[in-house]
Amino acid sequence: MRDWEVLVSERLGTLHLTPEQRDEVVAELACHLEEVYLEQRAQGRSESKAIATAINQMADWLELARKISLAKRGEESMINRAKSVWLPGIFTVTVSIGWLELLQRASFDSFKPWFQTSLPMLPFLLWVITLPLLGALGAFLSRFLAVESRSRLTAGLFPPIAMFGLLFLPEIWSAIFERNGLVIRHPLHFAFDVFLWSILPALALLLGAMPFLRTPKLQEA
Amino acid sequence: MIGAGIKRGTAELAVLSVLEDGPLHGYELARRIEQQTKGALRFTLAALYPMLYRMEQRRWIRGVWETSDNGRRRRCYRLTPAGKKKLSPLRQEWSELFQALRRLKKVAHA
Repeated sequence: MRDWEVLVSERLGTLHLTPEQRDEVVAELACHLEEVYLEQRAQGRSESKAIATAINQMADWLELARKISLAKRGEESMINRAKSVWLPGIFTVTVSIGWLELLQRASFDSFKPWFQTSLPMLPFLLWVITLPLLGALGAFLSRFLAVESRSRLTAGLFPPIAMFGLLFLPEIWSAIFERNGLVIRHPLHFAFDVFLWSILPALALLLGAMPFLRTPKLQEA
Repeated sequence: MIGAGIKRGTAELAVLSVLEDGPLHGYELARRIEQQTKGALRFTLAALYPMLYRMEQRRWIRGVWETSDNGRRRRCYRLTPAGKKKLSPLRQEWSELFQALRRLKKVAHA
């Protein structure tokens, strides 16, 4: 007869639980599959068909692992999520602003403005080029506490998200609801600013954060 | 056929109600609910265990490993005093919802 615990353990992959909790979950799910298998056999199904029916009880094992981790960790996971997003996020925002400020002050003032913005080109480019390191750092810090890659992604991309939320969203809001003419009169300029300060940094940060977003691959039984 | 949203809302009530009659392990619990609702409420593995663990975190139910007569170990769930306390207002809420729906002519004739 099949070792259901080995099968469940292999398919579930990493569960963000203590080893004792993990063993308990694996044993319980294995019991469930074994019950399905025994019932199928009792109904006269063949060995292979009974095994297939039991295994087919679950289509997406990684999703099950994620749901179980969240359910088992309960309220604690909400606190961890806040920590895993906000702390690395605030850290990356602070470092990115400080780093840009440092670059701008480091005798680059003589460079001409770029495309009618008040942005000196070289410090900005240097800043964007180094952003992948910051994205990697944010996602790396977040990985200690975040179960979901979504939390790690948010932590890694926090600076442009904050920039968009604090600078550009109020302008869009103001244009729609208060008929503020700035965005309406200069839509291309506005779009270019959004690209420079949100989209481009987001892409650079994403590049650095990507290696830390992967979840462990499912091992086939 | 009952929709997914309503099923989710009723699932916890179904688990608490069935466990009121005595402790059951996960598979047995799912089978019992399916039989008693004539197949209207059917749990998948992905829905059942995360829900049981969530309810356990809230201390409505408690799972304990037990060994059956044939020597097989299974985790049996039983209702806790907090779960019993939760069952009554939950039943009341659903009863009020169904009464309200019955009062609507369109729903009554649907």
